Amino acid sequence: MIQLKQIEKTYRTDTIETLALNGINLNIAKGEFLSIMGPSGCGKSTLLNIMGLLDAPSSGEVLIDGQQTTHLSDKALARFRNQKIGFIFQSFHLINDLKVLDNVELPLLYRNISAKERTELAKEALVKVGLSNRMKHFPAQLSGGQKQRVAIARAIVGKPELILADEPTGNLDSAMGNEIMELLLHLNEVDGATIVMVTHDETMAKKTHRLVRLFDGSQVNDHALKPMYA
Amino acid sequence: MFKHLFKLIWNKKKQNFLLITEMFVSFLVLFAVFSMVVYFYQNYKKPAGFDYNDVWVATFSMPEHLQSNDSVNLFAEAMRNSLKSMPEIKELSFTSMNVPFSMSTNGTSVSSQQKPRVHTNIFEVEPTYKDVLSIHMVEGRWFQKGDHVAKLRPVVLNQKLKEELFGSEPALGKTLGEENYKTGQFEDRFKVIGVVQNLKETGDYQAIESGVYRGMDSGGLRWNNTILLKVQPGADAAFESRLFKTLSNMTGTSIEIEHLEKKRITKNKLALVPMIIMLIVGGFLIINVAMGLFGVLWYNINKRRGEIGLRRAIGASGSAVSKQLIGEAMVLSTMALIVGSFFAVQFPLLHVFDLPASVYVAAILLAIVFIYLLVFVCALYPGKQAAAIYPAVALHEE
Repeated sequence: MIQLKQIEKTYRTDTIETLALNGINLNIAKGEFLSIMGPSGCGKSTLLNIMGLLDAPSSGEVLIDGQQTTHLSDKALARFRNQKIGFIFQSFHLINDLKVLDNVELPLLYRNISAKERTELAKEALVKVGLSNRMKHFPAQLSGGQKQRVAIARAIVGKPELILADEPTGNLDSAMGNEIMELLLHLNEVDGATIVMVTHDETMAKKTHRLVRLFDGSQVNDHALKPMYA
Repeated sequence: MFKHLFKLIWNKKKQNFLLITEMFVSFLVLFAVFSMVVYFYQNYKKPAGFDYNDVWVATFSMPEHLQSNDSVNLFAEAMRNSLKSMPEIKELSFTSMNVPFSMSTNGTSVSSQQKPRVHTNIFEVEPTYKDVLSIHMVEGRWFQKGDHVAKLRPVVLNQKLKEELFGSEPALGKTLGEENYKTGQFEDRFKVIGVVQNLKETGDYQAIESGVYRGMDSGGLRWNNTILLKVQPGADAAFESRLFKTLSNMTGTSIEIEHLEKKRITKNKLALVPMIIMLIVGGFLIINVAMGLFGVLWYNINKRRGEIGLRRAIGASGSAVSKQLIGEAMVLSTMALIVGSFFAVQFPLLHVFDLPASVYVAAILLAIVFIYLLVFVCALYPGKQAAAIYPAVALHEE
C-alpha cells in the first residue's frame, strides 16, 4: 500500500539545520494497522505528514499503491489525498461553524458528486461511528470522544484505502480513548482499511498489527505484534 | 460549493454582520455617486440645441431720461443700427436677462387643456434671437415682425414644454393660459406658433428645463436690457474694447460684456462641484472600505489557518482554497448588495428627486459591479496567501 524509500527530511533556517527524519524505509501492506511510537520530537508526525502527502521529503521516495508521488502537482496531490487518504488528528480539526453532518461532508465537497449523495454518504458514515443522533449539532455541543468520532466519520466518508491517525486518543480520557481505538480496529478488521497511527500510548499501540519505533528521526525498531488476518 | 459557502457564512452571521454593514453602506454611497454621474452623463450626451460659439452677451442700463416706450424703442433702434454697422457683428438680438448659462431665471406658469399648470422658464426675444443662437425649429415657425400686435401673443415652445403640455398631440395653433398672479386664475394669453429643439441653457450637465419664447412687445425693450451678439469668428479683445466704448457712449452707463462659451464653462464648473465633492468623499470611503475589507480577510485567514490546513488535507488544492475565500467574500457582498438594492430600488419606485428611472437602474448596476470588483480585488491577495499556506504547518499550529 505504502512504500517509503530512504526518506529524509531536513528543516532549515538561516542558522540551523535540523534533521527530522533520517533514512526511513518502510513498507506498509494493504489492510495493515501500523502504529508509530517514539518520544516527542522524534519525527512521528513528520513521517505521517509525508505519508499523507501533506509534506514533501527532502530526499527519498513515497509510493502509494505503487504510484510515485514525488513529482505530482499541487492539484494532483490534493486529488490523491481526497480519493485515497483519510486523516484523523489529535485535536479533531472540526469546523466549529458547521454542523456535524456538514463537517463530515467536507471531503466530498472536493469530489464531483451531488449534494444528495454527499448527505447520504455523510449520514452513513455517522451511523457507522454511532453518531446518527448528533447530525444537527455543532462541534461545541459534543464531548471530546464524540468530536473524534465525527473526525473519524469525516475520514472514512470518502471510503479511502488509507487512514492516517495522528494521536487520535491523545486528547481523550482512557474510556473514550478505548472507544475510539475499538472503532479504528473495527474499521481495519471489518472494512479492511489500512491504518497508520501515531501514538504515545503503548496499550493502544499493542492492539495494532505492527509497531514502528522512531528515535531522533531514525527508525530503531519495527516488529509485528499480531498477524494481520488473525 | 455555493450552498456550503452560504452555510458557513450564515452560521457566522454575527461575525460577518459588520463586514456586511460596511459593504451595504459603501453600496449606498456608490449608488448616490453613480446616480449623479449617470444623470450628468445622460444630460451631457444630449445635443446643445443651439450654437454658443462666437456669441457675446452685453448688458446695459437704459438711460433714465428715456420715459416713453417710443423713445426707448427709438433709442434701441439707434443702438441696433450702430452695432449692426460694425463688420464684426453678424447678428444681434435684444432679449431678457435670462440668456443661456446665466444665473438669472424668469419663470411663469402656463396651462393647456390637457395640463392645468406647468411651471416654465419664459424668454423675451426678438425675431433675430433664433439666428443669433442658431436654434433649430422642430415645428411651425419663429417670430416675425408684427407678431406682437395679435390678440393672443404668439409663443414658441421648446420640445420639453410641448410634451408636458400636449404630450404627443400637435401644439401648433393651440392656446395657452398664463397665470394671473393677482387673481391666481389662468387667462388665455398665448397662441403656439412653433416648437424648437430643446436648448441646454443651464449648462451641459444640467437637465433641460421647459421654456416658452415670447416675442418682445413694444414696451419690452424698457425692461430687457441684454443684447446677444453673434460675432465673426476671431473677434478679438480690440473689438471687444471698441464694442464696450460704443455701448458705453450710447447708454452712458456701465456695460458688461461676456462670452457665452466662457459662461458655459463657468456654469459647468459650478454644476460639477457637488459631484466632485461626492466623488472625493466616496473615494475616501471606498479606500477605507477596501483597506478594512483587506484587513478583515487577512485576519480571517490567519484565524482560519487550521481550517485551511484541514481543507488542504482532505483534498482541496491551493487554488480551491483561494477560490473558496474569494467566493465567501463574494457571497458576503451579495448579501449586502441584496439589502442595498432593496433600498436603492425605492428611489425610482417612489420617484425620489424626480430623476429618470434609467438613471437609478444604471447607478444600481454600476454600484453592484463596482462592489463586486472591489471585493474581488481585496480578496484576491489574501486568497493567494491562503493558497500558499503549508497544510502540515497549519495543522500543527492548531
